[in-house]
Amino acid sequence: MNRDEAKNILLLYRSEADATDPQIASALSFMKTDSDLREWFEGYSAHQKILCEKLRKISPPPGLLEQIISERIALAEKNSRRDKIVASLAMVAIVAALVIVAGLYYPRGHGPAAPDSFAGYESQMLNVAGEGYSMTFATNDLTQVRNYLAQNKSPADYTLPDALEKTTTAGCTIQNFMGANVSMICFTTGKPLPPNHPGDLWLFVAPANALKDSPASATPQLAEVSGMSVATWSRDGKFYLLATPGNSQEVQKYL
Amino acid sequence: MAEGVDFDSLVARHYEPLYQFAFSLTRDEADACDLTQQTFCIWAAKGHQLRDISKVKTWLFTTLHREFLGARRKQSRFPHVELEHATAELPVISPANVNQLDTAQLVDALTQLDEIYRAPVALFYLQDYSYNQIAEILEIPLGTVKSRLTRGLARLYQLLSDKIKS
Repeated sequence: MNRDEAKNILLLYRSEADATDPQIASALSFMKTDSDLREWFEGYSAHQKILCEKLRKISPPPGLLEQIISERIALAEKNSRRDKIVASLAMVAIVAALVIVAGLYYPRGHGPAAPDSFAGYESQMLNVAGEGYSMTFATNDLTQVRNYLAQNKSPADYTLPDALEKTTTAGCTIQNFMGANVSMICFTTGKPLPPNHPGDLWLFVAPANALKDSPASATPQLAEVSGMSVATWSRDGKFYLLATPGNSQEVQKYL
Repeated sequence: MAEGVDFDSLVARHYEPLYQFAFSLTRDEADACDLTQQTFCIWAAKGHQLRDISKVKTWLFTTLHREFLGARRKQSRFPHVELEHATAELPVISPANVNQLDTAQLVDALTQLDEIYRAPVALFYLQDYSYNQIAEILEIPLGTVKSRLTRGLARLYQLLSDKIKS
């Protein structure tokens, strides 16, 4: 290190705290052997101190604090009005969606869903996934999810499709359908999550006998229901329902 | 989450250092007020997304700096600045001479620095931020912070020397 290099490094020095930086420590050490550099550094440090003191005298104009706070109140009021409009529009959209859903169910031949039917089950679980739920056990570990479900007497000896096994889990919770526990395992696909939703891909596992008419096919059947991409299949006495927002093909990549 | 932070006390605690930073970037009272106010408006809308409450101050400074850069980008593109040349020979200034300059003259010199040097130098002097914290606020690597500080401080030194001579 020569004097000019040391000067360049010592420009960065403000106080003892900066001496922990290896470059500065090295320059400070070099300075001990160079009296001219030491003299320059003493002058520079005094000059730094004055600069700091003077620049810190910058003060905000009177009234800025009050202006910021009052602006925020005005903004909150404006947002509140906007939220009311959005809520009204959302209500209209929900009613419209319900009408569409009702229209979609009839052509599928289910008729009005019996409470313990496949249609009733599907409707209830998709409603839980779409409208919100509380995640009782949050973890990214699928083994812990399985242990938690087993401890709470919910179906835990399920078999996950390979692609789903590699998808990040967010945890699980337990739903109830006609008195039977249904394991609800939440996953994240990597897309932005809707507010207050810990996941955007859900697997429901129920004992097959909880449904009066659970489909028997072991091959996943794909459908689009209420804006959800849904796959359903049965295996080893359990009924699986996998859902994610999107069209009927969206869920296929997790099977 | 930062949802529990009281907005009024947050403003009271941080608006002065934020204003100082804004003023050192813009040298204009109205612009500095706007930047400070805009920063808190963004906090009001998005602050709840901040998970680590201890990072509030850094978050505010980063946001203010982004807003400043955003506003400047609308006005003009940054000139390309070559950083590889060594710092020029530093002039000698006595502390007594520096003491003759007032805050306005110092801010004037600071705002004559190129924008890429101005923000790190302002944070260096105004807030006693560590180099790592400056890197975090400005979202640039630590080595770049040091390099810009070295050149920015040397340039500021030169500008002050010119002011004193004139």
